[in-house]
Amino acid sequence: MSADTLNLAAEGGGGLFTPGGPGFEAPSVGIFFPSPWVDYDIPMTSGITKYAVLLAVASGLALLFLWWTSRKQSLVPNRSQSIGEIFFLFIREQISRPMMGVKGDKYLPLLISLFIFVFAMNIMGIIPFLQLPVTSNLSYPVGIALVVYVTFIVVGIRSQGGVGKYLKGAVVPSGAPGWILPLLVPIEIISNFLIRPATHAIRVFATMFAGHLLLATFAAAGWYMFNPAAGPLFGTISVLFSGASLLAFVVFTAFELVIMFLQAFVFTLLAALYIGQAQEAH
Amino acid sequence: MLGLAAEENVLRIHIDELVFGLIAFVLIFVLVYKYAVPRITKMLDERADSIEGGIERAKQAEAGAEELRQQYREKLEEAHRSYAAELQKAGEQRAAILAEAREEAQVEARRIIEAAHAQIEADRQHALHQLRTEIGTLSTDLATRIVGETLADNAAQGRVIDRFLAELEQDQSTQQAEVR
Repeated sequence: MSADTLNLAAEGGGGLFTPGGPGFEAPSVGIFFPSPWVDYDIPMTSGITKYAVLLAVASGLALLFLWWTSRKQSLVPNRSQSIGEIFFLFIREQISRPMMGVKGDKYLPLLISLFIFVFAMNIMGIIPFLQLPVTSNLSYPVGIALVVYVTFIVVGIRSQGGVGKYLKGAVVPSGAPGWILPLLVPIEIISNFLIRPATHAIRVFATMFAGHLLLATFAAAGWYMFNPAAGPLFGTISVLFSGASLLAFVVFTAFELVIMFLQAFVFTLLAALYIGQAQEAH
Repeated sequence: MLGLAAEENVLRIHIDELVFGLIAFVLIFVLVYKYAVPRITKMLDERADSIEGGIERAKQAEAGAEELRQQYREKLEEAHRSYAAELQKAGEQRAAILAEAREEAQVEARRIIEAAHAQIEADRQHALHQLRTEIGTLSTDLATRIVGETLADNAAQGRVIDRFLAELEQDQSTQQAEVR
């Protein structure tokens, strides 16, 4: 065994076909718990970790994109302006209008912010060297899901003309016979006010979490199986295995990009749906 | 790999991260709400306006051109009409002038003829009158001669009569020449 192989083995790489080498350790959920760089030892806090830094990067990119695409405005659109307009019209025509109609246009800024924020946080998962989607930490999706939760309740109370009317409209299904209400009302309450915000946040979190774990597994496996020093036959096999794993990593990274976009879209679409439902009279 | 934190509950919610996330979201929201969306909506509206305005202007120009064309057509028709009217008027005038001239000529001719008739009549009357006077004189002459000369012989008588008749003929021919 050469010194190189030993080094590789020590870092978890080249484990395949190395007699007495380390076994394959799949990435654990530990990768979602980076140790804090600044810890202030308060319960229920994590300190400043990679997540906080990536959040700053993602928000910075989002702000930069928004500023860049709306900075210069002219009647004949320039390139950056066109991108901004396409983005704006995409949110309006694909999310806001189908869910809420024209009267939902006043929530466009919220929807645009949600989409770009979620997408920027997601995309951190495939940017080289950063490679950790911010939304794979439940704290962040919960934050914006709460914003949407509060928004649709406030919108509901305002458009139905009072807390009582809104709650009645939201939890008492119209047309249901009286005797079934004791059964339906609790279901509606749980569904609309507990499960809805929870799934709203967990949907994007779980997808990003799983996707990142998958990518990490492919990367780790590719690294683990890369052992050209294991002799002519085993070395070739190990390199082929490793190559297949890395190819899968690349393919799944592209796939992840689509999922990241889709999850941002779904998150925003659901926000529009909830606000639209609250807006309508029951 | 980075060192791991002790706690490993994937469904954890950290208050500090949640607050960071909210702050970041608020920043983005403020930029979108106060800056990006108003600018983009304003420009989209302006563009729609300018496109609609362009269409409107084109329609107006078209309507203007159509109006102008109509005006030209009317003017042309009017010109044709007035030309025809002038032509007709000229024809009428020509006919009137011709008719007038013909009438005048006829009147003149009639006048000349009448004058000629009157002259002839006057001449005739004059000639008759003269003839009558001459015949009277001649008759008186003849009678005087017949009476003055004695009716001695038939020869003389005969000569007198012949001479008288000859004179009479002569007179008549001169008289006729005068009448003419």
